[in-house]
Amino acid sequence: MSGIWVVIEERDGHVSRASWEAVAAGQKLATLSGLAVNAVVLGAQTESLAAEVAAKALGKVVRIEHPLLAAYTADGFTLALQQFFAAEKSDYVLFPHTYQVRDYAPKLATRLGQALIGDVTAISDGPLFTRQLMQGRLNGSYRHSGNGPCFVSVQAGAFRADEAQPGTAAVSVFSPTIEPAQIRTRPSERFRGAAQTVDLGSAQLIVGVGRGIKDAANIPLAQELATALGAELGASRPICDNGWLAMERQIGSSGQTIAPKLYLALGISGAIQHLVGIKGSQCVVAVNKDPGAPIFEAADYGIVGDLMEVVPALTEAVKAARQ
Amino acid sequence: MLPLSAILAEPQSFSLAEKLLLIVLVAASVTAFWLRFRVVLAKILQSKKDASFRLFPIGKRLWDFLWEVAFQAKVIRQRPLPGLAHAFVFWGFCAFVLVTLNHFAVGLGLGFLSPTSLFGRFYFDFAAVFALACAVGILGLFIRRFLVRPKWLGQQLSYQSGFIAFLIFLLMVTYLASFFVADADPATRVLWWVHTLALLTFLPIIPHTKHLHLVLSPATVFLSRGSFSQIPPLAGDEDFGLIAGTDLTRLVSLQAFSCVECGRCTEHCPAAITGKLLNPKEIILGLRNYLNDLGPASEEPLLGKYNPQEAPFQCTTCGACEFQCPVGIEHLPILIGLRRGAVNTGTWQDDYGSKLFLALERGSNAHGLPASERDKFIEKVALPIFDGSQEYCLWLGCMGGYDPKGREIIADFAHVMNYLGTSFGVLRKEKCCGDPVRRLGNDLVFQKLAESNLEVFAQSKVKKVVSICPHCVRTIQEDWKEFGTPPPVEHHSEFLAGHANKLPAKRSGSESIVYHDPCYLGRYRNVYKQPRKVVKLAGKLVEAPRNHERSFCCGAGGGLVFLGEETGERVGQVRATELIATGATTIGTACPFCNSIFRDALAEKGAAAPQLLDIAQLTARGLPESQT
Amino acid sequence: MKIIVAIKQVPERDAQIRIDAAGKWIEESGLQYALNESDAYALEEALQLKEKHGGEVVVLTAGPERVGPTIREALAKGADRAIHIDCADLGSRDALGVARLLAAAVKPENPDLILTGLQSDDLGQGQTGVILAELLGLPHSSLILHVDKTDSGLTVKRELEEGWFQSIELPTPAVLTIQSGGNKLRYATLMGIKRAKTKEVRTVSAAELASDATPVAVLERVALPQKQKSTQMIPGNPKEAAAALVEKLKFEARVL
Repeated sequence: MSGIWVVIEERDGHVSRASWEAVAAGQKLATLSGLAVNAVVLGAQTESLAAEVAAKALGKVVRIEHPLLAAYTADGFTLALQQFFAAEKSDYVLFPHTYQVRDYAPKLATRLGQALIGDVTAISDGPLFTRQLMQGRLNGSYRHSGNGPCFVSVQAGAFRADEAQPGTAAVSVFSPTIEPAQIRTRPSERFRGAAQTVDLGSAQLIVGVGRGIKDAANIPLAQELATALGAELGASRPICDNGWLAMERQIGSSGQTIAPKLYLALGISGAIQHLVGIKGSQCVVAVNKDPGAPIFEAADYGIVGDLMEVVPALTEAVKAARQ
Repeated sequence: MLPLSAILAEPQSFSLAEKLLLIVLVAASVTAFWLRFRVVLAKILQSKKDASFRLFPIGKRLWDFLWEVAFQAKVIRQRPLPGLAHAFVFWGFCAFVLVTLNHFAVGLGLGFLSPTSLFGRFYFDFAAVFALACAVGILGLFIRRFLVRPKWLGQQLSYQSGFIAFLIFLLMVTYLASFFVADADPATRVLWWVHTLALLTFLPIIPHTKHLHLVLSPATVFLSRGSFSQIPPLAGDEDFGLIAGTDLTRLVSLQAFSCVECGRCTEHCPAAITGKLLNPKEIILGLRNYLNDLGPASEEPLLGKYNPQEAPFQCTTCGACEFQCPVGIEHLPILIGLRRGAVNTGTWQDDYGSKLFLALERGSNAHGLPASERDKFIEKVALPIFDGSQEYCLWLGCMGGYDPKGREIIADFAHVMNYLGTSFGVLRKEKCCGDPVRRLGNDLVFQKLAESNLEVFAQSKVKKVVSICPHCVRTIQEDWKEFGTPPPVEHHSEFLAGHANKLPAKRSGSESIVYHDPCYLGRYRNVYKQPRKVVKLAGKLVEAPRNHERSFCCGAGGGLVFLGEETGERVGQVRATELIATGATTIGTACPFCNSIFRDALAEKGAAAPQLLDIAQLTARGLPESQT
Repeated sequence: MKIIVAIKQVPERDAQIRIDAAGKWIEESGLQYALNESDAYALEEALQLKEKHGGEVVVLTAGPERVGPTIREALAKGADRAIHIDCADLGSRDALGVARLLAAAVKPENPDLILTGLQSDDLGQGQTGVILAELLGLPHSSLILHVDKTDSGLTVKRELEEGWFQSIELPTPAVLTIQSGGNKLRYATLMGIKRAKTKEVRTVSAAELASDATPVAVLERVALPQKQKSTQMIPGNPKEAAAALVEKLKFEARVL
């Protein structure tokens, strides 16, 4: 039996955190199945990447190298992995559930007559793979049926990257055969969205300021927190009406509708016009002096307290966590 | 003063030449009148028939005709001094019918009313009183238009109006002067001919100017749609609203030609007052110009050249325009018709509008929030679920179900109902009543909402509904009729007033409460006394400068509260400033939308702002503590 | 351009979730259905391409009879015709099985472009489009916000993590999965609905398409998540609360 293979993804020249989480997931699966955990890295030059991976408790680390794998393409990665798994039989193939993986893993699975069980949040005895349905309101348990490898991708944060055990693994190289004509998509360099205008609509992290900030002179406190988080600054209507922040930063039914991963509502009471603007937020944190403020009902986490004290404390805590 | 012994002088005889001249001039004048009038008549008659117009019941029509046309009630009441002046001109015209007929008869030697007979003397003296009042009236109106120049009459001076005023004045003066000469006097003949020429000049001018209202407006008032802001159902598969000339119906065309350009509609329009593009008078005149230029068979768009496309979408549907119009023009169905034309065809592209429509296409409320939020509220406040056994179904609406302030109002109202021992329940499933999409002209979404809700009502066996929101009350009671039979609906002010004798009156405290009449409760439903009765239980009632049917809109209606930020001065701010200026300690509202708008406006005033409370909250605060 | 848009009818986002008797799926009686959100964006992108370059937009959907209103909604918004794969047991197929059905219906159409939404609001796999491309042997790209037609094919704007974007060139025919939010959606109009009545809806039964339906990924059972959405109030003095909050944001909510 060939075991579990984790496909490592690179971020800025290093193993991405999500990949370490996938390794941790692999190790969990290993304890359930008694199989060995191995890893592959893909690219044009994978030596340093492989060395990073090999410092963990893995059986084998294989460097799948080819010049045409320098930039990610679905065709390239699929061909390379298809050839690898044709040569190396496997039971489980694990991926981190990233945008890149979503782009090629189903293709690869199909080529091998399989179906990916994606965005898994837990692995339990069976093995059963749990994933979220109905936008997080339902959990489903999946099992693999039939012969051939079982393809699984794991949700970011579902497993802890620091739980990947250290060790030493053997490294080898695999050279797939890829012709230029087989790569049908031409990706360009990545770029940022327009930096000039305030686009709260696509911001992933937002700090919102409300009347609880009391004075324009206190806005820098909120700005510091936003900077520490790498977040955009937004506001409820009265703040913009007073001219303390530009109108385009207004969040609400007559301003911008936001859908960030995280929204911090500072000193905002929670009028409906504001609530409808934030309902797309994944996680809402409210800080307010008034424990009865309606915003708390819309929040996932709440702190009742004085903004002047809580906000600086948050800024410190965020800076500490980011180190 | 007019000596009582004065007799009206008439030329005793006319030569054949004069008689012939008279006949020719009359023929020419009448022909000139008809040549133009028949064009107007044709444009009206060639317009599409109004599919939903019903002549009967005729009682209301006759009453409105009597009250508004004969008694000039609306003309006088809403603009007293100029209105009275106009009333005298009108009554003068009416009184002069016999005079005028006799005048021409005299010219042909066939005079039938003798100035010396008892009846003749009485009648001519009677007409003289009116002539004097008319002359004074027209002089006053002339001074108003050309010297005082109120802005609602428009920037440009209307020379046409000046000339007509002159003619009318001339008619009256020549009539009155005839009491001061003798039959044989050559001056009498001159006066007679001047009077005749003035009349014959006036007649053909009528159909070319806004004085067409002399002929049309009695018909316009009589042929109204039947009720305030009555939106006609779309007629058939190809009808999407008012897009081109071919969509204009006879009523709309008649109304467009009836406009007297008095500007009362614009004077009271919250959008026009706050500097928006919308000008109700220009909307109507734009249609008139369209009909004059292109006619009712044209496929050219109504909006664009004749009125800006944004204008109809700045309307809050407050109804002040339709309410004020003295000649029976119904602005609201026209404005909503123009919106329908743009929305039902997808021509209207507005980010907020699309968001609202998409939210109601897929979801249950206008905010786009999940229905579970409403369920959570019901659970939290432990509202009973309607099971068919309770007396009332308490309709939450989008504000009562989802808005924090609206929820407070519901909680307080439920509290009061419990105190009164009235059984009620809330529906498990409620979709937006459809008011914003109905007023914005999206018939597709509105139909879906109305039908869905009506089905739930039927299944749940709802017999009576009570609601805190005048928009819901109006839409459920009236607009849903197009798709079924809604049960009777009460606004909570009507409910509370009906139980006033069981509610404690606050004896202590000097809380002064300025009550704001919501458009959809006041002008739309004629409910003014009941909320005031409730307010008086809680404190001293203060009236805003603009109150009752003159109440100034908060700006939320017509779907506008969902359409993002207004340009220019905010309607709600204007009203809030007015309410605060009364010095009252509390602003009393009866509509959750008004409440929401004022909440924002007051937020900027800081600690000095008055309290803002709905009448349900005012009532709940007066209940004995043990019930809480 | 001939564009096929694969759409899915899913339970309304508002829907109350109850587990069915067998414990394998949710109770469907009393549910209301709507067009999947990212599919609405895919349709919008297709309609805009048609408005710019001419051609035809065909919507394709698999499901039981109740998908009718969703097909009409798509036609009302501007699609030219529809293909309905009548399939009563869609839920028993995995992503591969569903894609096989769609591929069988797409093949004879020979489209220039196939668009799907990024993922469905019910199962949320996000795989159908990618698998469809593989089955048809076509190039693809996913998480697309914008599509431009060029002389050599297409240039698309792809979303990457953390606020980055990427441009990709690819030839047609191709498959793209469309991310929500790239365009402003158009609303359904009365005029659109009336016109939709005359547009063609061709129904083909799943059996006719003769594709393998045996699932590889089998949904064994479903359960409600233990943690219901309730507000966690974090106690302590500002410093303690701040530290506790950041910890939760990192490891519980996983948004930092």
